[in-house]
This record gives sequence, structure tokens and C-alpha cells, in this order.
Amino acid sequence: MTDKRALVVDDEIHIVQVVAIKLRNNGYEVTTAENGAVALEHAKSIKPDIIVTDFQMPVMTGLELIENLRQDSETADIPVVMLTARGFAIEDEKAKELKISAFLSKPFSPRELLAKVEEILGVEAAV
Amino acid sequence: MHQGKHIKIVTAALAGFGLVVNMIMLFVSGTVAMSVGICAGVVGFVSLCVLTGKNLKDSSAIEVAVRVLNEEEFNESNLKKQAKSNVLLRSVYDFVSSFGSKIKELEKKGKECGLQLQLQQKEKHSVEAILYSINDAVVVSDDFDRVVLANEAAGDLLGFDPAASYLKDIHEVIKDAALVDLVVKSRAGNIKHVKHEISFDNEQGISTHDCVVSCVYDDKGMVSGVVAVLHDVTREKEVSQMKNDFVSHVSHELKTPLASINAYAEMLVDGEAEDQETVKEFCTIIQGQAQRLNRLIEEILNISRIESGLIKVNKEPLSVAILIQESAQMIASYAAEKNISVSVPAPIIYGQVEADRDMLSQVIINLLSNAVKYTAANGSVTVDCQVDDADGLMRVTVADTGVGIPPDDVDHVFDKFYRVEANKKYAKGTGLGLNLVEQIVNKVHGGRVFVTSEVGKGSTFGFELPMAVREGAAV
Repeated sequence: MTDKRALVVDDEIHIVQVVAIKLRNNGYEVTTAENGAVALEHAKSIKPDIIVTDFQMPVMTGLELIENLRQDSETADIPVVMLTARGFAIEDEKAKELKISAFLSKPFSPRELLAKVEEILGVEAAV
Repeated sequence: MHQGKHIKIVTAALAGFGLVVNMIMLFVSGTVAMSVGICAGVVGFVSLCVLTGKNLKDSSAIEVAVRVLNEEEFNESNLKKQAKSNVLLRSVYDFVSSFGSKIKELEKKGKECGLQLQLQQKEKHSVEAILYSINDAVVVSDDFDRVVLANEAAGDLLGFDPAASYLKDIHEVIKDAALVDLVVKSRAGNIKHVKHEISFDNEQGISTHDCVVSCVYDDKGMVSGVVAVLHDVTREKEVSQMKNDFVSHVSHELKTPLASINAYAEMLVDGEAEDQETVKEFCTIIQGQAQRLNRLIEEILNISRIESGLIKVNKEPLSVAILIQESAQMIASYAAEKNISVSVPAPIIYGQVEADRDMLSQVIINLLSNAVKYTAANGSVTVDCQVDDADGLMRVTVADTGVGIPPDDVDHVFDKFYRVEANKKYAKGTGLGLNLVEQIVNKVHGGRVFVTSEVGKGSTFGFELPMAVREGAAV
């Protein structure tokens, strides 16, 4: 169990909900947002330990969100896991530059997502 | 004496010439124009006999000559016959006949050449006509990189006058460096065929062409020129791009509900649902997402069926006003949630169209639900239907007081998967609903769709359908 804070961003309410439940069930404090713009505000105020975001979203995409995060020293180092329904739409170099820790393509496994998050945060996986 | 000899010689020469001319005339064209040399011929032949001294005193030779040259008997066979018995006549005959046949041969060859030239000219013209009529741009250059042929399409595409390009340096004629480079390199490098895709930006806009450059070889296998053929593949590329986009969109749209189904099912398996209520909630989500997936597949299939003409259409006379009334009832609860008033025309029977009931209902429901979707709470939606007797059309409009569509997007709202970026935040959608409306109205019912909009004020979507021919109406 951990007391880490996670920010989950997706315009699909069901996806946000399922990720949030999975993380909460495993001891995370979860905040949700329906697009990049809302997420950016949350990220600045709650300073989460990790962000799980969708790629394609209205108003502000996941990519724009990360670009914005990286420009602010307070959010520049927050690890990000990106969910995408389009495969790896970002070039490796760009991903490296934006310090995107991992990609998961939809349909994804919440189990795998949790494992990935724990791995990034260096949390011992609860078996 | 000397004077007399000179006269003899001159006379003989002239006459001999006359004879030869005469005989050639005979060989070449029979008796035509024989009179030109006949007199000179007789005198000449006699003089020739005199000069050569052969059978000079032989009165029979002169006799023969005279007889032979007599107009009536002066023909080839007669001459030949006589030549057999007379040595002089034979040598003259041989000389003249060989000369005559050579001329005949030359004339024949000349005629053939003329004919061949005519044929070649004809062929050249027909080849040119073919080259000019084809849609592909064709430019032919010689081994000095000079333009020897260019058709109209080439002129239009590359911006030059084909008629004024003959024998001009290709660098001077064609401004597109990539194409010129391709032609010159093909020629210099003796490259048989090379294919490249080149984009052009001219008055007609940006176009993409498949450019095939081939070397032309002479009899000795040397490069004598280069042919460049440019085929416009802009449309093909667009279609291909549309297909790719379609597949990409479809897979994205299908994956979204699938992702939910997959994730919630796994949560159930992993026992992440704490209580019975959560289990039920997860199951409901899975069911809802499965239905969403099904709707999406149905919509895609419907569009695809309509596009391919495979859908079954049951057309019958329908009252549009009644159909509007029914459709409005179906979205009433959704409109009520947002406190949006929906006003519809009176359900009159008058104003019928020949249409498929389910499909037309789908059109009206899609337009109504869109209007409610993109209108803020407390707004209004007004449906109207008018009969245009003059054009025999029924016009239905659905006007809302919603968010409106930016001018740049208006022309695209009926495109497959097109979603107005600025309005995505207001509602979810597949980007297929309006495309389905357009397909049903245009493709299935031969009508047309239209839209006007103003950002912040609202949009008016509508369609026109041909009126059904009323029973008993005068034909």
C-alpha cells in the first residue's frame, strides 16, 4: 500500500473511472480530469506523483498537456503514462524529450497499468 | 568543208539528243510528249549513223531508222525487234533502254517515297493527335535535351506554350527542377525507365503526378531522346488517404468502447469490485459499451451499404410532418433534460415524399438530436417543413439556438468522421451521424442537404426531397 497521488486524465468517463478505481483500490489518492486543460490546473495544484493520460482529448490533448507540464519547473519532472488508441503515435525522440515514461495502447489492462505505475514509482508490487 | 562538218556535228548532237529524249520518253511514258523529239530524232539518228560511219551507205539502216522512228511504228517492241538485226540500233537501244529503265525505277522509287512520306506525315499527325488528346502530360526531348514534342496537358501542367517549345532547351521550357533533372539524368545515364512522384503547385492548385521517364533508343541502341509522361495521381492519393483515415478513425472509435469493456471485465475477474452494487455497475458499463460498439458498427455498415448501393430501400409515400412529429417525441426526454423547447410543424398529411420510412426517420432524429446536443440549456429547436410547389420539393429545416459552427468547419460537417474541433467539448459523437444524413438524403432519395450557421447564435440544418407524385394528379 502506498499513499502516492495520481492524476488520471481521459475524456471517456468510463476509462477515467476504471483507472481511478484500480489505483484507489491499491492505495493511491486519485484526482481525475476530462481533458488536458483541466488536468494542467490539477497538476499545478496537487502536484501528483504520477499522471496517467489519454492521448486524444478535446480542448487540450495529452501531448499538449505534457508539453505544458514540462515547461513549468514545478511539474517538469512528473512521470507520465500515456494511454492511446492509435498505437505509438509519437516518435521515440519526442517521447524521450517529453520524458514520457510509458505507453499503453487501448484496449489496455488495468492490471498492467498498475504494474507500470508501480514500476515507475519504484513501489514494491503488492502481490 | 570545216563549216559543213561543224554543222553536221552540231546537228547530229542536237538530233542525237532529240533521239535519246524521244526514246526515253517512249520508255518512260509511252507516246506522251513524243512529238517533242520525234523530228529531231529522225534527223539525229540519221546523223548519228553518218557520224559514226557505220553502215553509212547502207540504205537499209537509214530505212530501218526512219521506219523505226516513224511515229506509228515507234514503240518499244518494234524497236527491239529492229535492234536485233542492226548493231548500231542495238547499242542505242541498249543504252537508251538501260537509261530509261533506270529513270522508270527512279520515278517508281520517287512515287513510293512520296507515298511513304504521305503515310509518315499521316502517322505523325495521328501520333501527335493521340499525344495531344491524352490527359497525361507528355514531353519528349532529344539527345541535346531540347524539347521536340510536348502536348497540351504538359503545357497546362508545367506552364509553357507547347507550340513555342520546339527545339528549345528543356531547362528553358520547364521550370520544375526535379522533372528537368530527371529527364537530363535519364538521358545522360542511359536509364531505361525511371519513376518518380512529383508534386506541382500551379494555378489549379497542388497536384501529385507519377512521372515516368524513359529513354528512346535509335537503331544502333544509342539514346536518341527521352519521353516523360506525367500521370495525375492526386485523386488516387486523396482516396487512398481517405481510406487510411477511415480505417484509422474506425479503429480508434471501435477501440474506445472496447477498452472500457476489456478493462471492466478484467476488474471483475480480479475482484476489484468491492460489493455487489459495484459488480452490477461494472456489468452495466460493459453492456452499455457493447451496445455503443454495436451502434457504431451499424452506422459504419449503413454508410458503407448506402455507398456501395447494397442497402434495401422500401420507398413509400410519407407525410414528412407526421414523421417529424414522431421523431420529436423520441428525443423529447433528452430535450427536456436540458430544458430545450422543440417546436414542430402541425402533423398535416399534405406534403408527401416518396421515401424509406426508417431511413427518413433516422435523418430527422439525427438532425434533432444534434440540435439538442449542441444547444445550451434553456435554448430552443425549431423544425419547419415547407412545400416548394414550383420545384416540386419538400424542404425541412431544423434550427437551433446552439453554439454554432465556425466558418472553416461548415463545409465539412457532412464529411465522414468530421468533428468540429471547437465543439467537441460540448458533446460526444462518432462524426458519422451527419454523413449518414447526407448519404440517405442524397444517395438514396436524390435530395440535397444544407447548413447555415453562426458561431454563438445557432445553426440551421436542412434537407430537400422531391415531392411524391400525388395520386390523380395530372401527368
